[in-house]
Amino acid sequence: MSSIKQKPGLYRIVVTHYVVAALCFFILAVMMLFSVKAFTGHYFHPQILAITHLAALGWGTMIILGASYQLIPVVLETELYSEKLAWISFSLFLPGMIALVYSFWIFIPCIHMQCGAVLLLTAIILFTINVYLTAKKKKQQTIQEDFIFSACLCLCFTAALGAALVFNFTISIFTQDQLHFLKIHAHLGIAGWFLLMIIGVSSKLVPMFLVSSYQKTRLLSFTYYLIVSALLLFIVDSYLSGINYRTYFIALVGAAGVACYLLFIVKCFLLRMRKKIDLPMMSTLFSFISLKVAILAIPFIIFYHLKNNPISIRYSLIYGVLLFMGWTTALILGQTFKTLPFIVWVKHYEHLTGKVKTPMPADLFKNSLLKIQSAGFIIFCLTFIPGCFFLSQPLMYAGIVSLLITAAMYLANVFIILFHKTKTYGKL
Amino acid sequence: MENFDITDRLSFMKVEILETLRLVMDPELHINIIDLGLVYGVKIDEPGKQINIEMTLSSSYCPMGESIVSAVKNCIEGHYTGFTANVELVWEPVWSYHSITEEGKKLLGI
Repeated sequence: MSSIKQKPGLYRIVVTHYVVAALCFFILAVMMLFSVKAFTGHYFHPQILAITHLAALGWGTMIILGASYQLIPVVLETELYSEKLAWISFSLFLPGMIALVYSFWIFIPCIHMQCGAVLLLTAIILFTINVYLTAKKKKQQTIQEDFIFSACLCLCFTAALGAALVFNFTISIFTQDQLHFLKIHAHLGIAGWFLLMIIGVSSKLVPMFLVSSYQKTRLLSFTYYLIVSALLLFIVDSYLSGINYRTYFIALVGAAGVACYLLFIVKCFLLRMRKKIDLPMMSTLFSFISLKVAILAIPFIIFYHLKNNPISIRYSLIYGVLLFMGWTTALILGQTFKTLPFIVWVKHYEHLTGKVKTPMPADLFKNSLLKIQSAGFIIFCLTFIPGCFFLSQPLMYAGIVSLLITAAMYLANVFIILFHKTKTYGKL
Repeated sequence: MENFDITDRLSFMKVEILETLRLVMDPELHINIIDLGLVYGVKIDEPGKQINIEMTLSSSYCPMGESIVSAVKNCIEGHYTGFTANVELVWEPVWSYHSITEEGKKLLGI
């Protein structure tokens, strides 16, 4: 039995995803700077749609896909089925994402938007096939496998429904309005793709990075069944009746699932052997708090929606910002500096370890930039989110400037890691 | 973990090898592999000039696994000229957090 050997081809595919995602994050911050006014209105706005899709696809999904190629073999304990399939998926995903985001921004729902949606759907199906064939190689089934494969299926359904909604702009596919299906599309993406995938991967990585002795998976099983049940109930109920009083119960089931996962994380933290928590893990912890706060916004959205109070739109916007810019962004900002330095370190130092003194993975990035990035991100959360809620443009601008600083620091640190030159400190 | 046996002529060398392996660090945890409890045994084939290290990893697909194995080989061959190192990965007994030595726990801040 042997451990996984990092192949040069795998390195290139993973790193390419990280670079594109970092660039998308910076572009996202710039786009937000030019869309402050849009954040004071309804979320079904061309600029908000473009920003949301860049955040979800170019930033969140891009980095999850890249990290998946590195981490799925670790989590599933088997090698990736095909690097070629990964490259084909990437080469369809990138132009698809650019076409879709640009078409939303200028809002011309014609051939470019449709082509973008079809390219994205094809790329996502190929990714899912790759994950399925990777998992198939493994004999023993784990709860992580259930999370990851369910997440991939949800991503396929999200992209399929998204493509149908894009075509619905010009060809009448659905009898009901776009917003009716937009809720299902968004929650398939948020709870189905992001939540299940992040839980699946982090349930293996968080105990590993914390050196936690907590090994039980019972809480994770509860998490899986509660979240999947809530998602299925929401899709069926929301399709048939829209938001109604039953939605409270469905939200409660989903929140119970997330609570089980957060309890698992808390247990991992309490039973950790490594007492010192570094900045990337602090950021990860902060992301879980953002997730919890976002979930707390759900009853308010349902309550005001049922009262036909337009403030429900503001709560929905805050909910989306907390999920995409709070939860997933904080998680990525932290976990990038746990995974990327390791990937680059293996390439530079694997053959030198044991012979000479080498830097450690944590020495590959500038901690000072990481500190500025973290401070910038906290300021963004503390100014932009209240700014959206109270419709205060100065607060929103302050937040977006902080986000630009965060994105610039992140991008700089990613390039510092990637352009690292091998150095040694003498013989051992 | 290897026991010291005074009747075994190679015991001193085995202990020395284990001390040498303290130079091999886990890149994520910054703790040497001896205090992490990853090394189970050392066998020396003096005439064949071969040193066999029996060790484990924290999981069979540990992302740092290849680096640690490579570091062990490099470290032994660098310090014992003329010897070749062979690393045998074993999965019984399964490594657990209880395998970490008292010194390792101190290094982890426990």
